[in-house]
Amino acid sequence: MSDVQPTITVDARGVACPGPLTSLIKAYRKAKNGDIIEVLATDAGFKADVEAWVKRTGNELLSITEEGGVIRALIKVTAR
Amino acid sequence: MPKRVLILGGGDGGTILANRLVKKLPASQVEVEVIDKSDVHWYQPGFLFIATGEAEKEDISRRRPGLFRKGIKFTKGEVMKIDLDDRTVDLADGTKKKYDYLVIATGSTLNPDEIPGFEQGVDHFWNYEAAMKLREKLFSIKEGKVIVGIGGLLYKCPVAPLEIAFLAEELFRKRGVRDKIEMKYVSPIDRAYAPHLLNRVIEEEMEKRGIEVVTFFSVDSVDPERKVVNSLEGDSLDYDLLILTPPQQGVKAVRDSGIGDDEGWIPVDKHFLNIEGYDDAFAIGDATALPTPKTGVIAHFQAATLAHNLAVEISGQGTKEIFDGQSFCVIETGMGKASAQVSSYFYDVPPGLIPNWVLHAMKLAMNKMYWRCILTGMI
Repeated sequence: MSDVQPTITVDARGVACPGPLTSLIKAYRKAKNGDIIEVLATDAGFKADVEAWVKRTGNELLSITEEGGVIRALIKVTAR
Repeated sequence: MPKRVLILGGGDGGTILANRLVKKLPASQVEVEVIDKSDVHWYQPGFLFIATGEAEKEDISRRRPGLFRKGIKFTKGEVMKIDLDDRTVDLADGTKKKYDYLVIATGSTLNPDEIPGFEQGVDHFWNYEAAMKLREKLFSIKEGKVIVGIGGLLYKCPVAPLEIAFLAEELFRKRGVRDKIEMKYVSPIDRAYAPHLLNRVIEEEMEKRGIEVVTFFSVDSVDPERKVVNSLEGDSLDYDLLILTPPQQGVKAVRDSGIGDDEGWIPVDKHFLNIEGYDDAFAIGDATALPTPKTGVIAHFQAATLAHNLAVEISGQGTKEIFDGQSFCVIETGMGKASAQVSSYFYDVPPGLIPNWVLHAMKLAMNKMYWRCILTGMI
């Protein structure tokens, strides 16, 4: 998925729960279908939170990776 | 020559900072001026009790000039522009203020336009007028659907919507209308309250009290005519009374001065609170972009740290301290009890406390101690 270029980046590194998810929701509010939202987070709970959110909202989780303590989620907006 | 410290905003952060600073340094070393557009200081946690009819205006407000220690200059004025490079602040009356050290403690401002229909369709208690309007409704509703929860995602006091849900539920019981009122709590995440440990207690209490938790409901718009609230996730709920957190942003002067992020929150060093790129300008309280809760406790602790550090810097004596993100929020759960949330930069899992009467008594005591002990810089 490294070739997918995000159209919106949300940098929530260093932000505690639920900051990364609420930052994603704020970005989602302004997004349109087809946008790719990249979220960077260091909160360990973000992985489970974003997976549950994507499942509930019907958007597409393209990838979720973790490197050097940073979780990177790529979400394709499909449910706006 | 004394160093000139200019503090923008006379809320609890600005007031505590000013009072602590003149306690630490003599007038020969420091000159402190506080600017605020209003000469009334509100104890903002008290708006909750205004809404529930347990406090009146005189309990939660004071004339601002009387709250400062001797030697502090208070100026009533509206800040228009802040120039961090020129070290000047422009006021609406044309006055230009110079400083050696600047502290921005301007808090936040409501931004209801972020949610279409919010202004007309939603009640809240983030200022006195709104809290009084809500009080009337809480005391007059006889039946129907009451929805409480999170509207604007970034708002002052993370626990406030929980508190109004619990206290409104208790009020409906006392009024004898509880069995005719359906209560729901809306949350944008998969649980009522973000910190996992305390969420278990909160959700258990909500179940016991008959408040249904509606998860993944991010408020997108409100239709005040049809009395319907719509979510980003595509759901809609009917309501008779809708109580939501209002969207908030940094104040206009900060946004107009290009200091903050796209919502006007000011990026500062998380430990020393200086505005990024400056060593003579700081921000504390709700005005910052820090990932800390926007609460009076945070403003209080930041003011204490910054007062100490400015005193060290100006006097050349002592060692600077760091702000560690420490916060302690008491959460009213009704029925004479309260819970509490503890947080800091260093907790992976922030601890919470089981509801008990001691914490409730503490919160009531705080309503009095605020004026005499906290604002004055005693504790």
